[in-house]
Amino acid sequence: MARLLMFHGRECPHCKKMMAVVEQLEKEMGIVFEKLEIWHDEKNADLMRSYKPVIAPKCGGQLRVPTFLNVDTSDVICGEVEPDKLKAWLEKK
Amino acid sequence: MKKRYWRCNICNDVHYGIAPPELCPTCQALNAYAEITADEARKFLGGGPDVTFTPADFRQAIERFTSGNEFMVNPDPGKVETLVEGIFENEKNHGFKYCPCRLRTKDWEEDLKLVCPCNFKIHETYRGLPNGECWCGLFVRRT
Repeated sequence: MARLLMFHGRECPHCKKMMAVVEQLEKEMGIVFEKLEIWHDEKNADLMRSYKPVIAPKCGGQLRVPTFLNVDTSDVICGEVEPDKLKAWLEKK
Repeated sequence: MKKRYWRCNICNDVHYGIAPPELCPTCQALNAYAEITADEARKFLGGGPDVTFTPADFRQAIERFTSGNEFMVNPDPGKVETLVEGIFENEKNHGFKYCPCRLRTKDWEEDLKLVCPCNFKIHETYRGLPNGECWCGLFVRRT
């Protein structure tokens, strides 16, 4: 199973909204995201920074949350997106 | 060009920029700014009376900031409350009112771009979009 990361912020409204979407897709698709909060956990923040070369080009040149990363394929999607879009991203090989 | 610190010799206003203002915005003195060091600037800025700046004060400040502009504070009060809470958490934990929906890089200059209100008008989430908003959604285009 691919390693899927969700970087999020505790006080980010888009992250809160996407968290519910992610939890639904986890049930529906039998997948698991590692959910990593980045403003109150410096270890998670450093992990996200380590992926900057992969994430930033697809997220306006910055590290933004929410960001979804497939570690195995280096595929990234960021921001508040429609559930279908996230689902399609997850179904990509 | 590198920004430097300037001090009004009449009222001690401190300005940070590549050049000093011709007219002091506080005392209206003309050509009153002289360059000072960052250390001096810190002393001037830190030596004033303690001002308590609460989340409610910040909300008033951003309302004033948006008035007369093409953007406004998000009309969703729940979203604003969450964001302001995050902005104040970030100031307490990381020193500046960083955007709760981005991550600082630990490069001081670069991270100043994340201080709220940021220069969101150049961002792809705002520029040219009829319903544009800053990345976190605290500011939205006025409709």
